[in-house]
Amino acid sequence: MEWIGLANYAVFMAIFICIYALLSLGLNIQWGFTGLFNAGIAGFFAVGAYTSAILTSPAVEGRLGGFDLPVPVGWIGAMLAAALIAWPIGKICLRFRSDYLAIATIGVAEIIRLVIKSEDWLTNSARGITDIPRPFGDLPYVYSQLAYLAIVAGVLLVAYLMVERQIAAPWGRMMRAIRDNEDAARAMGKDVPFRRLEAFIFGSALMGLGGALFAHFNRTITPEAIDPMIATFLVWIMLILGGSGNNRGAILGVAVVWIIWSMSEIVTDQLPHEYAVKAKYMRVFLIGLMLQLVLRFRPEGLLPEPQGTREEVSEKSK
Amino acid sequence: MNKFRTALAATLLGATAMAAPAQADVKIGLLGGVSGPIAAMAPAMIDSARLAVQQVNDNGGILDGEQLVAVVGDSACNPQNGTDAATKAVNIENVIGIVGPHCSGAVLAATNSVTIPAGVTVITPSGTSPEISGLNDNDTVFRTVPSDDFQGRALARTLLLRGTAKVAVAYLNNDYGKGLAEAFRSEFEGNGGEIAGFAAHEGEKASYRSNLAELASGGADTLVIFDYGDGSGLTMLRQALENGFFENFVGGDGMKSDAPIKELGAENLTTFLSSAPVGEKSDSLEMFSKAFADVGGDPSAIFATTSYDAAFMLALAIEKAGGDKAKVSAALREISNGEGEPIRAGEWAKAKELIAAGTAIDYKGAAGDHNFDDKGDVPGTYALFKVSGDGFEVVSEIQ
Amino acid sequence: MDALEIINFYLVPGIVIGSIYALGAVGITLVFAILRYAHLAHGDLATLGAFLALGAVTLGGVSPYVALPVAMVLTAAAAVMIDKAFYAYLRERPKIVTVMASLGVALMVRAVVQVVWGVDSETYTRGIVRPDVWFGIRIRDRELITILAMIGLVLALHVFLQQSKWGKAMRAMSDNPDLALLSGVDNKKVVMLTWIIVGGLCAAAGVFLGLNYELKAMMGWTMLLPMFAAAILGGVGRVEGAVLGGLIVGIAEEMSTLFLPTEYKAATAFAILLLMLLVRPTGLLKGKVL
Repeated sequence: MEWIGLANYAVFMAIFICIYALLSLGLNIQWGFTGLFNAGIAGFFAVGAYTSAILTSPAVEGRLGGFDLPVPVGWIGAMLAAALIAWPIGKICLRFRSDYLAIATIGVAEIIRLVIKSEDWLTNSARGITDIPRPFGDLPYVYSQLAYLAIVAGVLLVAYLMVERQIAAPWGRMMRAIRDNEDAARAMGKDVPFRRLEAFIFGSALMGLGGALFAHFNRTITPEAIDPMIATFLVWIMLILGGSGNNRGAILGVAVVWIIWSMSEIVTDQLPHEYAVKAKYMRVFLIGLMLQLVLRFRPEGLLPEPQGTREEVSEKSK
Repeated sequence: MNKFRTALAATLLGATAMAAPAQADVKIGLLGGVSGPIAAMAPAMIDSARLAVQQVNDNGGILDGEQLVAVVGDSACNPQNGTDAATKAVNIENVIGIVGPHCSGAVLAATNSVTIPAGVTVITPSGTSPEISGLNDNDTVFRTVPSDDFQGRALARTLLLRGTAKVAVAYLNNDYGKGLAEAFRSEFEGNGGEIAGFAAHEGEKASYRSNLAELASGGADTLVIFDYGDGSGLTMLRQALENGFFENFVGGDGMKSDAPIKELGAENLTTFLSSAPVGEKSDSLEMFSKAFADVGGDPSAIFATTSYDAAFMLALAIEKAGGDKAKVSAALREISNGEGEPIRAGEWAKAKELIAAGTAIDYKGAAGDHNFDDKGDVPGTYALFKVSGDGFEVVSEIQ
Repeated sequence: MDALEIINFYLVPGIVIGSIYALGAVGITLVFAILRYAHLAHGDLATLGAFLALGAVTLGGVSPYVALPVAMVLTAAAAVMIDKAFYAYLRERPKIVTVMASLGVALMVRAVVQVVWGVDSETYTRGIVRPDVWFGIRIRDRELITILAMIGLVLALHVFLQQSKWGKAMRAMSDNPDLALLSGVDNKKVVMLTWIIVGGLCAAAGVFLGLNYELKAMMGWTMLLPMFAAAILGGVGRVEGAVLGGLIVGIAEEMSTLFLPTEYKAATAFAILLLMLLVRPTGLLKGKVL
């Protein structure tokens, strides 16, 4: 194992962490700051990924597009499309509380997934979309990876700063007030449903952007990428582990979970060769166990929400 | 937090220390969907590829007697884990070539973002999506599984020749099922057959009776299933048999699996036919089957033959290329282009001698001849199988 | 298409799969009602139960019906141990943390099943079972038993919750935990009892799923979403609601193939759920608002 290989691998991990950090940040806006239990991350991820793919890939017969537009147009389009999808969903579903909202959003995400998987004219169904351009994709491997890392890290930084600014602004205080005591916020004349919808749309747009960055990174997007486990539940684990309500925590959680997820394979590969396949099951066990350990010792998240922004956790809040 | 950090650091250090000493060996990556939706199919595919590695090592090793080491990676049948596993294999394990990943989505993502830029040769034993043919891959992406298009069409013509003119088609809603089903439909209808029902289904559901009832309502007595025999294909077959929706059943290569025989009983499968790729005019398949059965494997498991061939050919190509990563893909074309001394499954010692002597060799695999076309695809040779005893038996070749 | 065909090929399969969904949904709704979180390891616990029964069938050579109580007891024990090991210390934390812990448990349980039993499709008994015909209605004996067992188990649970001292304690915890604690209900015992019942129900769902179809390592996980849909559809915390929800989801899935392309079968449960939530946000039978 050479250091250059490890460095390459670290670059890859960093790209992945940046992409998933966008999802986690988006979820943090919805759950961490506003208390919306969105369990349909995969749906917004998918809408973003496919929108950008359709907008930027070269024209193909038999499905919508591609329109061969510049990549930034695709990314903006991804955010807009995710926001546009989020608007009616939020309008309808945000009236449900907590677990009801969760199952409603899971349902919407599953329906989106089935449509993507089945409709030839829209998404090329099960085969997915290929030939998605990747910025600086023509450079040699290492440089192209580094260039992409620079792009995603830049996007993440901008997103992070924007979210931080919003949260520190009166808007953020108002959101937390709504989260912690909706009735009081309403009594003070805040338009609670509208504010929630705002947060839902904003968060979903970030998830869409994450999806777009993912599709361009792989130059392809297939329905296998939007499985609820890998695109919804995993993001939830990341946010809760990292520290819901804390943007840096949200990003750290992504890094820790990806490192656990990925490094666990290196650990279980030390088993003798006859167990090479079983080792992969052990790896899944190890991932589960590591999550338990983190939750055991840091149940409030690795970086909890800063003191003073959250009321004492009442029995009701989840 | 500190405790956790220390624990993690210790684990990582431990892993690094232990992984270090294998530098002298030649490594190939076996990436497969070990966890995730095709978990039931992956072990046989991984094991058959490891059989090829075992045969290499038992017969003189690779290059200058070095050990060929298979690094197994879990691509979990999704692009996220697929790229992760490929990046690890390429960068940390320094593999010379990769067999896998298994699912088309993982293949597309891993090749596009990792192996093509890094110049590592990939042979997928089971990624059947037509999108893989179209990859801009500098000739580094190959597959040993013939395209769905070819098999679907051949099966359609064969059924018509056998006098079956009206069928219903049920297919798994993924690239494999859809590819086969659409090729089958266009050929079958183009040659005067009638498709009396054509429907996709999601895998992993428990009940397919209403799907089957819909399909049967078209009046066909033959059901063509493009699915996996140890996944939802088994469930469909069972429910169709139990309820008498159809009389005859025809499957693609995915259905030629031991699971239906084991779970449903051969006596219930007398009207079940299945197409599957075979080696043309060679006893390569028998040699593989015997060797794989000897190590406790199931030779008729889905994609076991293609996985084995992929691994064996990769080893041949590495030998031919002298271990040079950049020359592997060119060597892969040389060792199996229809010209030269034929090499059958497992004949490593013979191949090694011939390569050392500079003689051209031509690998004749367990799943076909594997003469790659310019896209890295193989034309398939198929036979129609029926259930006999506790296994499958060839009924006829199909063209 | 005549009425008999609709009954035989759409309604009966729907009721059978619906009964299995119902068994799972009742467990989910109990966890919701008493412990107040979504238990994501529910499906994999059902898988564990099904494979434990397979162990009893292959090792003990008994019929799956004999293996069922064995699996129920073992799974109940597993559920209690999982609660003690992974959920108990999170009880005072926000519930979302426990939801995440249950996801980790789901991964661990699945890994155990895959290591111990492998990943091949398995069945309790080899071969196929053709349905019997009763007045034109085709039903297999095991399907009849599944439906009857579901009704029996739910009735027993109902009687237990309504009549027994501990059942009342569970209901009290569900209605108002603070008040229940004040009136001397032993929190720990109620939690343990809940897990015993939930574990048993999980095993029953898994065994009947395996009996009617096949056993697969992922079978529980793929059932999780429809089971949740059923629990919410019926009204959170309502046992009868979960049964109703399960049956509706099962029947709707099978019936959907009459109107929709079959690849959208899995979407039916959610479409119904969304519609219902719009009309009656508390579920069919008025459930809790969590």
